[in-house]
Amino acid sequence: MATGTVPAAPLSPAVFAILLSLAEEEKHGYQMMKDALTPEGGGVRLGPGTLYGSLERMMRDNLVEESGLSDDERRRYYRLTNLGHRILATELERLDAAVASARSLGLIPNGGRA
Amino acid sequence: MTPSSGSTHRVEACYAAALLLYPPPFREAHAQAMRQAFRDALRDHSLPRRTLFLLVLRDLFTSITKEHLAMLRDTFSRPALLFNALVLSALATGLALALNTIPQQVLRLGANDPQIAMAGDLVARLEQGAAPAEAVPTGSLDMARSLSPFVIVYDDQGHPLASQAALAGQTPAPPAGVFDYVRQHGEERLSWQPVLGSAHGVRIAAVIQRVGGPHPGFVLAGRNMREVESREALVGQLAGMTWIGMMAVILVGTAVFGWYTRPSTQPTRPAAA
Repeated sequence: MATGTVPAAPLSPAVFAILLSLAEEEKHGYQMMKDALTPEGGGVRLGPGTLYGSLERMMRDNLVEESGLSDDERRRYYRLTNLGHRILATELERLDAAVASARSLGLIPNGGRA
Repeated sequence: MTPSSGSTHRVEACYAAALLLYPPPFREAHAQAMRQAFRDALRDHSLPRRTLFLLVLRDLFTSITKEHLAMLRDTFSRPALLFNALVLSALATGLALALNTIPQQVLRLGANDPQIAMAGDLVARLEQGAAPAEAVPTGSLDMARSLSPFVIVYDDQGHPLASQAALAGQTPAPPAGVFDYVRQHGEERLSWQPVLGSAHGVRIAAVIQRVGGPHPGFVLAGRNMREVESREALVGQLAGMTWIGMMAVILVGTAVFGWYTRPSTQPTRPAAA
């Protein structure tokens, strides 16, 4: 059950990168750090402290949960909750609208990457 | 063990030591997973070591600070805890104000005691026909220095007729409004600060009573308040120290209670799938 406050848009870069990373499948900590580092994953340099601090708050807000799968006790896997999926979709729509607006203003070349 | 694996172990040990700087609940919940993530990053080599170390150092600095602040916020910003501290602070402040005000009032009222009797006795003698110069005890006290009570007799217009005390060599008189009040009500008790030339700052606990009969006038019995004000200041200091002590106890008590009743940050582990 959620005990925190669901984060409002815009999400912090760390939270957005974690949601984006987990959208595909459940992952463990270092996989999320690697995903976040790529341009497609948000280009965020997440260290372990920031990652697990964010995960703790996101679990409190019911955006992610531990999947229960584990290579061993040290490597935990996380997955998105339904609420996490909805929050990510809302954030992506917001960003998509912003990119479309920037494109219509000629700030981004047509066909170029956002 | 190869030199490379030896240095990796040392780096991991350093990172494990740095994790001790996190708040204990956070550390208990995540230290193992964080160490594993760091170990994975060391072995993956997708980031140059130098870049990885800089990233981790910056991450340690920012996240340790952030987690300590979050722990303080979670521990001490709970509404029930703040409400209790606020109520206790209000009670302590009210108690300290009472400790300051009540003794000061008692001291001030007590400062009138001999003057009330002296003024009453002198009024009775004057109303029986005694001359002011005879009724007023001889001697001239310095109002600014003496702590002894004194009496002054004024005529119906407020001019001094006989005085046992002087200030800067003269006999001061209260403002005309004070005499008007005494004409209507028979008596007035006040803290009087006579001003004569350069004589300022002398405060007198004065009792003024109306003299009736064929030669109406006023009797003022007074006493320098220096000693009483000194005691009032001491009471104020003691009340202030009491207030600071009570607030310190409330602060420490709230901090200790908040710490021992802080919400757990240990995440709930799901049942194994």
